Amino acid sequence: MLLLLLTSALVSCIVVTQAGAEVLVQCPADTDGIDTDGDGIVDNDIVCKHLAAGDGFINMADGKLQYIFGFSDVTAIPVADVMMEGMVNANFPAPTIKVKEGQKLYLTLTNVGMMARPDLFDPHTVHYHGFPNAAAVFDGVPDASISINMGSSLTYFYYNAEPGTFIYHCHVEAAEHMQMGMLGQLYVTPRQDGTSYADPDGSGRTYTKFAYNDGDGSTGYNVDYPIQIASFDPDFHDASFSVQPLPFALMVDRYPMLNGRGYPDTVNSAELMNTAADVGWGPNKASQKVNAHIQAAQGEKILLRISSLSTTSFHTLSALGIPMKVVGKGARILRGPTGKNLYYNTSSVDLGGGEAADVILDTRNVPAGTYFLYVTNLNHLSNDTEDYGGMMTTITINPAP
Amino acid sequence: MNKAAKQAAIGLALVLMLLAGVIPVQAAITGLTGTAFDLVAREGYISTADGSSIYSWGYASGAGRMQYPGPTLIVNQGATITVTLRNELPAPAGNVSIVFPGHAATASGGVAGKLTQEAPPGGATTVTYTFTAANPGTYSYHSGTNVGLQVDMGMVGAIIVRPAGFDAMNPTAYGHADSQYTYENLFLLTEMDVPMHNAVASGIAAGAINVDTTAFFPVTWFINGRSAPDTMLADGVPWLPHQPYGAMAMMHPADRVLLRLVGGGRDMHPFHHHGNNSLAIARDGKLLESAPGLGADLAVSDFTITVLPGGTVDAIFTWTGEKLGWDIYGHLVTDPLEPGEYAPDHGKPLPVQLPSDLEVTFGGQWSGSPFLGGGGSLPPGEGGLNPNGGYFFMWHSHNEKEMVNFDIFPGGMMTHVLIEHPSVMLMEGN
Repeated sequence: MLLLLLTSALVSCIVVTQAGAEVLVQCPADTDGIDTDGDGIVDNDIVCKHLAAGDGFINMADGKLQYIFGFSDVTAIPVADVMMEGMVNANFPAPTIKVKEGQKLYLTLTNVGMMARPDLFDPHTVHYHGFPNAAAVFDGVPDASISINMGSSLTYFYYNAEPGTFIYHCHVEAAEHMQMGMLGQLYVTPRQDGTSYADPDGSGRTYTKFAYNDGDGSTGYNVDYPIQIASFDPDFHDASFSVQPLPFALMVDRYPMLNGRGYPDTVNSAELMNTAADVGWGPNKASQKVNAHIQAAQGEKILLRISSLSTTSFHTLSALGIPMKVVGKGARILRGPTGKNLYYNTSSVDLGGGEAADVILDTRNVPAGTYFLYVTNLNHLSNDTEDYGGMMTTITINPAP
Repeated sequence: MNKAAKQAAIGLALVLMLLAGVIPVQAAITGLTGTAFDLVAREGYISTADGSSIYSWGYASGAGRMQYPGPTLIVNQGATITVTLRNELPAPAGNVSIVFPGHAATASGGVAGKLTQEAPPGGATTVTYTFTAANPGTYSYHSGTNVGLQVDMGMVGAIIVRPAGFDAMNPTAYGHADSQYTYENLFLLTEMDVPMHNAVASGIAAGAINVDTTAFFPVTWFINGRSAPDTMLADGVPWLPHQPYGAMAMMHPADRVLLRLVGGGRDMHPFHHHGNNSLAIARDGKLLESAPGLGADLAVSDFTITVLPGGTVDAIFTWTGEKLGWDIYGHLVTDPLEPGEYAPDHGKPLPVQLPSDLEVTFGGQWSGSPFLGGGGSLPPGEGGLNPNGGYFFMWHSHNEKEMVNFDIFPGGMMTHVLIEHPSVMLMEGN
């Protein structure tokens, strides 16, 4: 009775499609005549992306095959072929999403089902982690919104008002789906990009790419790399593949990874093929498309867009031999409310799950050569029992041109 | 729907809710006020949302029940605070005590322990702790005896020091306008190694406790002593007699919600609040200001706050729903603006069509509509937990493993904030 009394006082004006299960991409043309991303063109502010959510396989750096859940990029795939293309094709990490401040992102999520687990009918969502002033409907938390069932599509809409380094992941049965690998990187470049600023350090260097709208070039960089901290518990993944109860309480990660790979795969520039055919789930697919190898010319500034999606631990990242300056945290420039610069120089950055930081490495006084970016949780420099692996990658500084 | 009819409907709903036992949300945190507090260490069983009972120890107030966490002490800046402690735990538990991080406390009575004076079991000896609440802010207190065991067993609580000149009608956390808030919420984060609690209970029955605290491995996580979804219940619900504090935040658009985060256990926790960034204005009871009187000019915005063991963070969260590119109220262009509404988005339609009912799984807190204050038809049995069509945002530890009650997901260190339509009165319900 209470519900009836209250609904009479509410506004209700949602129009719902009456279709059955279908893959449907919503990607309208930009006809509002307004240039929202500031590039002077009024009809190019809409970006469309189409992700398939399902299961798949990747190989750890020691060769172990792991069953995963994940996202794959089906933006270029015709709607009629999306289900077939997306099945057993999960990537880890999920496809990186890069947009500009002021762009409108229409993100279609199609649930292609978990083929290796026909007993599961899990829905999926996308949680755009850190999105400012979010609305529950597009926030991706299943109990506070809607999640998409197998065989259907849900299109999320995001107006990207804030530049910075964000994260996205599935939030359905979060402890399970996140441990299983539905984790992606997302970042928004600032409106200031394209304007030239001199480096405030007086070195004479100039930049046209920035982490934030700093107004003075202080977050300028030459090359940027997203670095995702995440790790797997192989017992959890094996239990999922063999339809066993999942060990939440005993979750202990033994495969630490940067960008979905343990060293030395972190520095392998190829897209890595899995060995899913070994367990009858072929053909083998390229399911790890992102590596963690960083390169720059001597004298350049490297922006590391670091995020952590560890489900169990905090990690500390260090660039051995290269000065680090933290210029952003939580997708905001590191300045106080009155504009005071709070950038700090450091040799290590700590992140817990759900945290992101923007760190600039300045190679100005660093000789050309190979350097290491690694976590100082030294036991995480391993691929399970294999030493000299895990969350470690290299930074190659090439001689200045 | 005209304004008068809408107000009448809400008024009638309010009467019905009051009859049903729900109460308006309080702006202030629930706790004990005054300058003299009488705490007693007692044992008891706490309930977790997976149906378990966990043997625990906690500080009770006077003759009251053991509670987890201990009573929140709300005191005024500059006051001299006296806390007396007696120990009614069974003899094998040993002595207990209290330490007050951030306060210079003196102790008298009882027996000398490593960190402070301790109260031996038997309940006859009183230890008296005295400190001056010199600075406003958020603090904790916990046992200073056999800390590796006793804090996990539940011997922890929060202290809030109100600033000089505190005005409950226009509250601030530190006196400066930068710390002004509409609602304040305590989030005391802890974890428990449940098998260790069972071993302690067995040990007490056998006459001696023998546990290895270095093998600590938590399996259940709590906010304010409750595991999700009990975290979302009101304070003082009768079926959680030993866990009086809820952790549900509620607000209207543009309100400022003060999060008082306390690291009450031994682990770090990344506290992620969906919905928007927050501004961390203070740490460990110190406003992040570069010079006294300047306000929180060193405050940092973030979407996830690391809460350190024994540390506290005060953060201001607000939400306006601005710049989404669509009208969060589902208005037509000709409808009037809501107070504080972001005018440039007024009347803009939702840019996508949502899938049909058969294509989606509904959350219990889904109103049936994407609009704030909206509702829609839902299939039978769906929804129901969001009668006013508010926006729920999950606030939780982002170590997702910690959103679990001893192997049962969901649970653990998780709660929500509910942002209601401006015309909806905020009510704490069961």
